[in-house]
Amino acid sequence: MKLTDIDVAVIGSGPAGMAAAIRAKEEGAEQVLILERQEQLGGLLHQCVHNGFGLCYFKQDLTGPEYSHRFVEKINDLGIQVLLRTMVTHLSPDRQITAVNDREGILRFKPKSVVLAMGCRERSRGQLNVPGTRPAGIFTAGTAQRFVNVEGWIPGKKVVILGSGDIGMIMARRLTLEGAEVRAVVEILPYVGGLTRNEVQCLHDFHIPLLLEHTVTEIHGQERLEAVTLAKVDKDKTPIRGTQQRVECDTLLLSVGLIPENELSRMAGVRLDPLTGGPVVNQWRETNVPGIFAGGNVLHVHDMVDDVSWEAEIAGTSAARFTKKETMGKENIIVKGGRNIRYVVPQAITAQQDVTLYARVKEKEENVSLKVGSIFSKSLKVVKPGEMLKIDLTQNQLRQMVENALELSIEHIKRRQDG
Amino acid sequence: MNQMETEVLIIGGGVLGAAVARELSRYRVDVLLVEKEADFGWGSTKTNMCIVCQGGDALEFRPEYHRSKLVWDSMPLMEPLCQELDVPFRKVGELALIRNNEELNKFQKLKSKAEKLGLKGHQFIDQDTLRQMEPNITRDAIGALHDPHIAIVDPVRLTIALIENAGQNGVNIMRETEVLNIFQKSNQFEVETNRGLMKCRFIVNAAGISVEKIARMVNSDDFVLYPIRGYVGILDKNLGDLIKHEIHMRPDAPGQMNILTPSVHGNLFFGTTMQPAKRGDCSTTEKIAEIGLKNVRKIIPDLSEREIIHSFAGFLMFRNWEVGWHECVVQASRRVPRFISICIGYPGVSAAPATAKEVVTLLRREGLRLEQNPAFNPIRKAPPAFTHLSEERQKELIAQDSRYGHVVCRCETVTEGEVIEAIRRGANTLDGIKFRTRAGMGRCQGGFCTPRVVNILARELGLSEKMITKKGRGSRLLLFQSKELLEGSI
Repeated sequence: MKLTDIDVAVIGSGPAGMAAAIRAKEEGAEQVLILERQEQLGGLLHQCVHNGFGLCYFKQDLTGPEYSHRFVEKINDLGIQVLLRTMVTHLSPDRQITAVNDREGILRFKPKSVVLAMGCRERSRGQLNVPGTRPAGIFTAGTAQRFVNVEGWIPGKKVVILGSGDIGMIMARRLTLEGAEVRAVVEILPYVGGLTRNEVQCLHDFHIPLLLEHTVTEIHGQERLEAVTLAKVDKDKTPIRGTQQRVECDTLLLSVGLIPENELSRMAGVRLDPLTGGPVVNQWRETNVPGIFAGGNVLHVHDMVDDVSWEAEIAGTSAARFTKKETMGKENIIVKGGRNIRYVVPQAITAQQDVTLYARVKEKEENVSLKVGSIFSKSLKVVKPGEMLKIDLTQNQLRQMVENALELSIEHIKRRQDG
Repeated sequence: MNQMETEVLIIGGGVLGAAVARELSRYRVDVLLVEKEADFGWGSTKTNMCIVCQGGDALEFRPEYHRSKLVWDSMPLMEPLCQELDVPFRKVGELALIRNNEELNKFQKLKSKAEKLGLKGHQFIDQDTLRQMEPNITRDAIGALHDPHIAIVDPVRLTIALIENAGQNGVNIMRETEVLNIFQKSNQFEVETNRGLMKCRFIVNAAGISVEKIARMVNSDDFVLYPIRGYVGILDKNLGDLIKHEIHMRPDAPGQMNILTPSVHGNLFFGTTMQPAKRGDCSTTEKIAEIGLKNVRKIIPDLSEREIIHSFAGFLMFRNWEVGWHECVVQASRRVPRFISICIGYPGVSAAPATAKEVVTLLRREGLRLEQNPAFNPIRKAPPAFTHLSEERQKELIAQDSRYGHVVCRCETVTEGEVIEAIRRGANTLDGIKFRTRAGMGRCQGGFCTPRVVNILARELGLSEKMITKKGRGSRLLLFQSKELLEGSI
């Protein structure tokens, strides 16, 4: 492999990296290289043995490994180069990549363009600052998922899950199927953090207790986890005195949020959006650093793998075009979040093309209207942080704009008064 | 292995016990060190802000305390010791912030006190210079007292290095060995442990928070210690450049410390919020964490709590807490011959080198005969830390052993080769790997590397993954195999 001639280097081979690499190659980039730190392509897909992948992208209900396989086949067919067990340790602002593996040793090269597709990591106990002791038996849901689905080990038999993110709910079902007793899924908010579909299929269908507006206030046990104290919380998420209950358990899983993994982006001088935790990009998924693009969970955390792949394809296309010195266009409209909008991606767009905006709300609301400036509005029965909003805007709509800023907001629908 | 004999038995493999073991290895004498945990330095040594101080802050340069003398005598010893043992040591200097005239007066007094004692180098820094030196800290500071001597170390690595070097020089070391009782015989002790009976003539009791418990076993309870629990938070490495010096702010409440300091591995540590607590209860509480955050925000006003990647609590042992920051224990028992207890409490790491020398003197006084060990080698080499090596050295290492090219901990860039080397040197638990290699110490707190490290531990130790523990004893990580829980129900 000649690393001196790489056109597009993709860092990470999860659903984002694979889709970006394939699209870059299809768009005419000759030498496309994927760098993956694990033993196989697919990122975390291979530990997601549950179904629900590809419903939109392939119109089929696939498992994680099945979804991954479709892309892996294409990568092989297209002759995309792959370096496995290879960790990228540095990325410089002029796109120089330093990586290490146990075959070639230290690798250093400068591709014509780079796609960041490192995905995200789980929030840990330290970041939650849960008080108490430090026994064994506390895992993030994703780590437990790897142990159960890849390594064949069940962490324990009495399980409490803190947080109701999708992986947590999926692990609640998985551990129940494995014969463990999931004593509670504990969520500090008045609604689940993940998809409604997972709430129904993973918790309700298996009669797993869901404690909303509750949290873990203390961890007990010196060597192995023995119990946790749960408490109900008030509107400010403060535990209410007198509501504490001790729940015996040997395992606590955390499913309390995902954080885009942007250490390499930082090294390269990529500007990050504090709201998403990912790079600030325009609609071509271009960062502020020329030739560095980003897509998938590294940019913002998605709910559905299908969206991850689609978004990364934009980054792959742009990366290929960059190598051919094609110009993308000029973004001239800043996109911002207004009332009850936590973030919007991309953060800047042009009126010259159709665009899809991804947004997330701050709080759950019912019977609202989603507004995009004065050019788009849509009534929605319910919006909640666990379900991403996707808004397709056409050139025609965008051309109606008079200002160069676009604000997304969630507004209450004004009811017509009687009489 | 159910009866052993040794001349000197050291109880406790924290930084003090380890320093004594290493000091004794300069002589031709039979020494055995026992540690009850699965690895070394897991008590107060581990729960530490990693600062090598000279007793300016809490001790206020009080020469009347023996503890001060041990700290001052250790100062010139620490850097050469770290060099011999290949342990990271970095002089960062301290800036004690001054916010008002009252504090200025206080520091002026401290400065002249230090000078009288011959501790040189303290200097007042004006506001502009302070801003240049530390642009990110609070604007409330009108100046600072700069102490150039303050340094940072990794206390657990120092302890492991001391143990390894002591081992190289002939000291016997046993882990997971807990002292259950001690019987005094005519001219020796019989020590009952979970690993059988051990006979010895001298005992060095360096059992940390259990120091009184061990002393009571021989009815030598001539000191009382008050355990004070301190809380420390760790910030993400991204903020590593926020400060260059150890920043000290006078606490607003008595009995607290307000420090933000760099660490040798790049994260910043903040603390210490202190409160009395049940001995050994290292749990953190919501309240103490809140105070900790509030305090550090006095130094860095807009610090986000999202940057805290981990927090821990540990114990500082004080004599006569009610009357202030008082004395340590480094003494031969008044009632029991050949029995020496040591407990510094704070700052144990800073005082360790001189304490070890003093223990040797005390042992001699108690009748231990010491002849120089002509084979003593003070040099110990640290295992390679891949991420800190030059690229040339990295290439060499991978060429020698390709496993140094396989990164298992992404946050701290720890390779499989390093994990294997740590196991070869004695790590046998997940936490052991963490403290020796830093795998799992980064911002994801082991989310990524845990399965990989468990895998390597099992393979290298020839055990099932089911037997791998977090920190020894009953702390197994994986309790069942797939389908094991379903067996009864099918």
